[in-house]
Amino acid sequence: MKNNVVYKKLTLPGRLFYLLGVFFLSSTPGQQFTLFVKTVASVFSRKKNFKSDSKNVINQIFFTGVEIFPVLFVVATLFGTVIIIEVITMMNKVGFSDVVGDLMVIVIIRELGPIFTAFLIAGRSGAALTTYIGSMAINSEVDALATMGVDPIRYLVMPALIGGIFAVLIMTILFSFSGICAGFLMAKLLIYFVGDMLNVQISWAYLSTAILQSLTMTDFILVIVKPVIFACIIITNASYQGLAIRKDVRQVPKATSRSVIYSFLYIVIFDVILSSFYIFQYFGEISKII
Amino acid sequence: MIEMALVIKDLHFSYSEMMSRRRVRSQSFLNWSGLSGVVLEDNRKEILSGVNLSVKLGETICIGGASGQGKSAFLRIIAGLAKPTSGTLYYFGEHIPIERHDALEIASRQVGLVFQNGALISNLRVRDNVALPLRYHGMGTEAEIEDKVNMALDLMRVRHEADLFPHMLSTGMQKRVAIARSWAMDPKLLLMDEPTSGLDNYNRRNLLPLIDNMRKLFNTSIIIVTHDLLIAKELGCNIVFLQNKTLTEPHSFDYWQKSNEPIAEELFRDLQAKE
Repeated sequence: MKNNVVYKKLTLPGRLFYLLGVFFLSSTPGQQFTLFVKTVASVFSRKKNFKSDSKNVINQIFFTGVEIFPVLFVVATLFGTVIIIEVITMMNKVGFSDVVGDLMVIVIIRELGPIFTAFLIAGRSGAALTTYIGSMAINSEVDALATMGVDPIRYLVMPALIGGIFAVLIMTILFSFSGICAGFLMAKLLIYFVGDMLNVQISWAYLSTAILQSLTMTDFILVIVKPVIFACIIITNASYQGLAIRKDVRQVPKATSRSVIYSFLYIVIFDVILSSFYIFQYFGEISKII
Repeated sequence: MIEMALVIKDLHFSYSEMMSRRRVRSQSFLNWSGLSGVVLEDNRKEILSGVNLSVKLGETICIGGASGQGKSAFLRIIAGLAKPTSGTLYYFGEHIPIERHDALEIASRQVGLVFQNGALISNLRVRDNVALPLRYHGMGTEAEIEDKVNMALDLMRVRHEADLFPHMLSTGMQKRVAIARSWAMDPKLLLMDEPTSGLDNYNRRNLLPLIDNMRKLFNTSIIIVTHDLLIAKELGCNIVFLQNKTLTEPHSFDYWQKSNEPIAEELFRDLQAKE
């Protein structure tokens, strides 16, 4: 075997590194990573057909983004309302009313927006993609594509990935916007109906100024970086679970649930990793004060 | 070697290659050559052992044998959908090592496969199904592709169904569309899994001259896996049998009909009785 020849030539640390690499790439996350790299590589393959590719990508954006918007809008608005009211009541009680803007940015723009959008899209589009690819694999349509020389990764996964990235990015921004704007309107409506019971006074000028003042450069960068990474996770994981299906109809529901659950897991893990940027930022600020 | 379409020497194939989930996915999609040396080689049940086969350019060969002997698995190996355990394969005189043995690599050498169930893409219309590989590979302008698709559909007599979805067609029609799709790609080696099962006598009789024409006009080599051994008689081609995990020597229909070998007696009993 050719590989064993390579293996024998290596020194001990080299062998350890080699085995570690083999272990990682043969594990599920490793295979998913390989699938992701292959998908990105297939964008630049020689067989470019801009017309059909862009058609597929637009279909995918429509499927992933536009059809989920009503649900996303309602969820964003209601959560925005709850957060606005709770934050302002609570902060007024404890006397920290000047951190309202900071809290809104942290809760809605940094954390809730990206994560909720990613969860909604993983639950809907990720599951749909797994079922779609899985059914194709069971009917040996994926095999048929391969025997026609059509790369299944390029034909099925690549448009989903590009469309997914755009859709999640747009939806995350819309989530934050509707969470704050429509949430504010709903909060006003609620206050109008309830009257003085809540003892909350908010105005758009106050809220918007507070939020704009607390936005930093890191927020703007991460608002773009987070959805892109989450989209890659959702689409890669969903396609992987679909492609790795065995020829058994009962595997489709299992693969679908695995797709959703693992997407949630990976999203939360990567969210924690990305949040460490903020922690570094805080450390920097604190060290300046000290 | 140049005039050979396919040469297979001492091919071995075991069950775990086909069923093991990790291997299947690493072979089909995430093929990383480093894995094959380290994965434990346990639980092997051999399906094929020491298979030899050679197909000339423009030759047609029928593979027969009782069901469950691994005929379809053998065809999947040739198409690159499954990876053999060991063995040497030459496609049109070019050696493809086992590490590089995958479907895309082999499809790029103009090898086509017609699946037993047709395997049409279910969310595309018949016309788009046939046009899909042509568009993907950019074989000509849109008008040329349209012409080619119409010609393929005409040949298989499915032009009237061109705007239907695959699930609206009967099994036999799906198979004809699948053959049209393979034909449109101009394959140099065409693998067919049970092309005549599910076809009525009329369409079967239409299909056979078509296969013969492909051989004559385009010099296509064809490998047919079938239970319908009369095809071999009508096409005038040799038959090999897959039994006891290996292939027999190729011989003509008449030879097998008169021979005393157990496999021939088993499979030709009905035909012999008829005469």
